[in-house]
Amino acid sequence: MAESVSAQTPSLSEQYHLEKEVKPVEVQAEEVEAKEDSPPEEAVEDKSESPASTEVTSEEAPAAATEEENTTEDVAEETPDEIKLETAPADFRFPTTNQTRHCFTRYIEYHRCVAAKGDDAPECDKFSKFYRSLCPGEWVDRWNEQRENGTFPGPL
Amino acid sequence: MFALKTIVLKWLFLTISPCDAAEPWQLGSQDAATPIMQGIIDLHHDIFFFLILILVFVLWILVRALWHFHYKENAIPQRIVHGTTIEILRTIFPSLISMFIAIPSFALLYSMDEVVVDPAITIKAIGHQWYRTYEYSDYNSSDEQSLTFDSYMIPEEDLELGQSRLLEVDNRVVVPAKTHLRIIVTSADVPHSWAVPSSGVKCDAVPGRLNQISILVQREGVYYGQCSEICGTNHAFTPIVVEAVPRKDYGSRVSNQLIPQTGEA
Repeated sequence: MAESVSAQTPSLSEQYHLEKEVKPVEVQAEEVEAKEDSPPEEAVEDKSESPASTEVTSEEAPAAATEEENTTEDVAEETPDEIKLETAPADFRFPTTNQTRHCFTRYIEYHRCVAAKGDDAPECDKFSKFYRSLCPGEWVDRWNEQRENGTFPGPL
Repeated sequence: MFALKTIVLKWLFLTISPCDAAEPWQLGSQDAATPIMQGIIDLHHDIFFFLILILVFVLWILVRALWHFHYKENAIPQRIVHGTTIEILRTIFPSLISMFIAIPSFALLYSMDEVVVDPAITIKAIGHQWYRTYEYSDYNSSDEQSLTFDSYMIPEEDLELGQSRLLEVDNRVVVPAKTHLRIIVTSADVPHSWAVPSSGVKCDAVPGRLNQISILVQREGVYYGQCSEICGTNHAFTPIVVEAVPRKDYGSRVSNQLIPQTGEA
């Protein structure tokens, strides 16, 4: 339950120092157990696997590997194969605690973008990530259904 | 051998265990894990100082008045009705004290609301009767959930030695330490409240509303909390457990949980 603080707590710079990393690509390789024990070796395999894994499925785990954008955090080092920590930024239009409208607005922005630019426009990807990060899955499913039925209560 | 003994003794007697869950007969706050909680604790210390000052003063006056207001000791009480100096002082002093309390209080209050850095992760905490669902959807490429799991309390019969009663869950919320998080709290049925005292977080989970809280967990550890809004018969049995792991381990922990998901999804 309570954790003991070790006398050998690494300094902040040591904690942030990232060597070759274990990464989500292992999910595809299904060798997570073994891989976790030898992180330095995986990095080499990781790099060769990532091109293959990006094609494997469109599932979530490789999506993490393919999202090669920089984090918004001031981390000392990070290998490019790491799972990127990035999410919808704080929107100044919605500065308060209540983010209901933020989620709704992102969803609408995405669908308006798709309506204007077509289904596979890369500009719309950004909006899709934003609304998926913010909105609970049930809300998104319900709205998708409403859109299909033509009963979506929003300015699409 | 002597070195070994020293090490053992050191680990036995000098290890510090932060208090991150409710302890029996606990009087003070749990140890702070976020800057917000540390600010709250510091504010409490600031106010407590003035509190004790006022308490001692008022008690002193009260006891003294009662002691001396005895029909035999002082049969004739004094009849003072005016005193400009004391009246001015007893107006100014409380206002000054109020100001000294208000300044750090407002400073903390408004700084808690400020979001200065874009969060790195968004985690959705959805309250149900009587469990929690956590969604980590930053990694989606489509509308399927990237990582969603339920978090049920471990019933007393299934607890292992050393675990806390009514506080342990089967799936903990794994977050990276020293990372700005955004937690979106909502509910799928009735109002709940997502509270983790050592992180200084208590946020109501209202159906149809998304409440956002920004936290930065400053140390690794396991933090416990409980549902804080009456939500039905098992309201007391829906705890929250947040596990802050080193940032580099976060990726592997998330992907480990993704394995069962890819099997289902």
